[in-house]
Amino acid sequence: MTPQSEVRSEPGPGVRPGGEPFDPVGVRWNRVSTKLAAARRLTGLLALAVPGALLVVPAVLIGSWWWLAPMVPVAVGAWWWWVAGRQVAAIGYAERDDDLLVRRGIMWRYIVVVPYGRLQYVDVQAGPVDRIFGIARVQLHTASAATDAMIPGLPPAEAARVRDRLAARGQARLAGL
Amino acid sequence: MTAEVGGPGDEADAGTEPVAADGRWHRVHPLTPAIRSWQVLVVLLIYLGQDLVQTTLRGDLDAAGQVAQLRGWALGGGLLIVLVVILLGGGMAGLSWRCTRYRVSHEALELQHGVVSRRQRQAPLDRLQAVDIVQPLLARLTGLARLTLEVAGGGDSRIELAYLTETQARRLRNHLLAAAAGVRYRTPEAPEAPEHFVLTVPLQRLAGALALSGGTIWLGTGAVALVSSSIATGRPGLAAGALPALLGAAGTLWNRFSTEFGFRVATSPDGLRLRHGLLQQRTQTVPPGRVQAVRLSQPLLWRPGRWWRVEVNVAGYGRERAETGVLLPVGTRDEAVAVLAFVLPDLGVRDTEHPGPVVDAGLVGTLGDGGFTAAPPAARFVDPIGWRRHGYRVTRTALLLRRGVLYRQLDVVPHARTQSVGVRQGPLQRRLALASFTLHSTPGPAMPVVAHLAAPVVARLLDEQVLRARQARAGAGPERWMETVASAAPAGHPLDQPTEPAQGAGVEELGDR
Repeated sequence: MTPQSEVRSEPGPGVRPGGEPFDPVGVRWNRVSTKLAAARRLTGLLALAVPGALLVVPAVLIGSWWWLAPMVPVAVGAWWWWVAGRQVAAIGYAERDDDLLVRRGIMWRYIVVVPYGRLQYVDVQAGPVDRIFGIARVQLHTASAATDAMIPGLPPAEAARVRDRLAARGQARLAGL
Repeated sequence: MTAEVGGPGDEADAGTEPVAADGRWHRVHPLTPAIRSWQVLVVLLIYLGQDLVQTTLRGDLDAAGQVAQLRGWALGGGLLIVLVVILLGGGMAGLSWRCTRYRVSHEALELQHGVVSRRQRQAPLDRLQAVDIVQPLLARLTGLARLTLEVAGGGDSRIELAYLTETQARRLRNHLLAAAAGVRYRTPEAPEAPEHFVLTVPLQRLAGALALSGGTIWLGTGAVALVSSSIATGRPGLAAGALPALLGAAGTLWNRFSTEFGFRVATSPDGLRLRHGLLQQRTQTVPPGRVQAVRLSQPLLWRPGRWWRVEVNVAGYGRERAETGVLLPVGTRDEAVAVLAFVLPDLGVRDTEHPGPVVDAGLVGTLGDGGFTAAPPAARFVDPIGWRRHGYRVTRTALLLRRGVLYRQLDVVPHARTQSVGVRQGPLQRRLALASFTLHSTPGPAMPVVAHLAAPVVARLLDEQVLRARQARAGAGPERWMETVASAAPAGHPLDQPTEPAQGAGVEELGDR
């Protein structure tokens, strides 16, 4: 009674050449706000400020080689600055007719496909740093705790739009467990 | 245990024992506070005992008189605490009993409880995932039982009715299952579904399997190391210090032994019936279609006996109550496959194919056995030992995911139960054009994943699996799984007809290898 014609149920030799799991055919990715990169940079720099300040103290008192120690947090900060920009640029989400796709990562890449019919609830959160930059995150929950589908760095209006769309589509396609 | 209750013959005591689903409020059994306080009492006694043992252990350092004095103090103080706790706890338990009541209708079960803050919880029966009857030792002696309902929800969504009489608990279970299944019956009470015995796990095999599990071997090594080191150094204090850790490990093993003791599997139209437990006995019913994923696994040392363990993910059972997800603690290959066939009667292999070899390829096969799609040779650079075992097989109804050379595992996930799917790829995998595919299932023992597949294969699997899941869901049966069947079946014993022939055939088909 299930129409099976659309899917070949057995893996055959005809694997699409150059198939790329992280770039499904016909998907246009939405990017998240670049303010997310700024928010992540701020959080990172705040976290590095404390060890940096502590390491400056002996450098000022003793001098010479001790100035190498505070260079470490500075280097980490510079790396973080660069990475945050790249990471945020790699985050994407796409709404298809029946499911939502979220992807992230450049070195360690991850993509998740969440069918609307499986959505249990949707969270919209904004922490203090997020609020400074005017962004929010949307987290999708299914009955599985393993579903790791979160879209960070959405402007609040877009976050609300995504949430409402997800809720409406989830309602329309809600299935049992 | 099942033969003497249920059905119309039970009407005699209907005056004293209310009909299960009358829509009125009922209290739980008046002995409930006694049983609950008893549990507290046992804990206290153990506490006291530990105290005494510790005092005596420390005693070998002190003079004899001091030991006696210490013991006296410990006893006196302990007794006082015990008395106070008994009085307080008894009072609280009595109050809480007065405040606990439940109501069952054809649609839902409601439970009210709580002394200070009143709580009311209502569970819609068509969302029911599993029903357990649990009998701790004392409840068994007094003929009482606890009824546990799992409705899938986030966090703690179970409802516990404690304690009812055994008869009440069983009648209520029958009603809940019948209501959840959408069965209509003419008798005032839901009839008990007939059970068909399938298998038991012999005691020797359970003990052997436990002895050969990883936990025992670590425990044994630890114990030997402790004893020999304390003999070598001549100081028993060393061993005594590590004793709690060892006791903890032994406790875990004992726990597993006692929960899996006397494991008995039966089938009924209500679903799979499991009964197990040495001191606390648990009777579980897992309705058909509520199984989210199945895992068959084999630790290294179980290989000579060709033993397998079968576990399931059921929404609501969760990972923290791991013992409830066990369908078969240890069984032969044929038994394991038969149990798999009961929970997933249709494996959906090609018409020209036999399901047996496909499952075997998942259990012990490597590379392309049984139509599996395996990891490419490049995967040996990321997993030199296990790369031949990483693989998956798609059938019409389910996805089979295989892995593990030393610890063999096979996960079976029906397409209709797929929650979401994900793909991961690290830098090394990217260089080798590999990726790992994950199916997200409800929390439980099975965490289906297949690592290091060729990236294009994963891309196609990701696309198609989402589509398959959607199509399977669209064609899936109703949430009340008997609704269509029962309305067509003649009256009499409405539960006796469906599902049985299919299940029987499944066993024969799979069992003959």
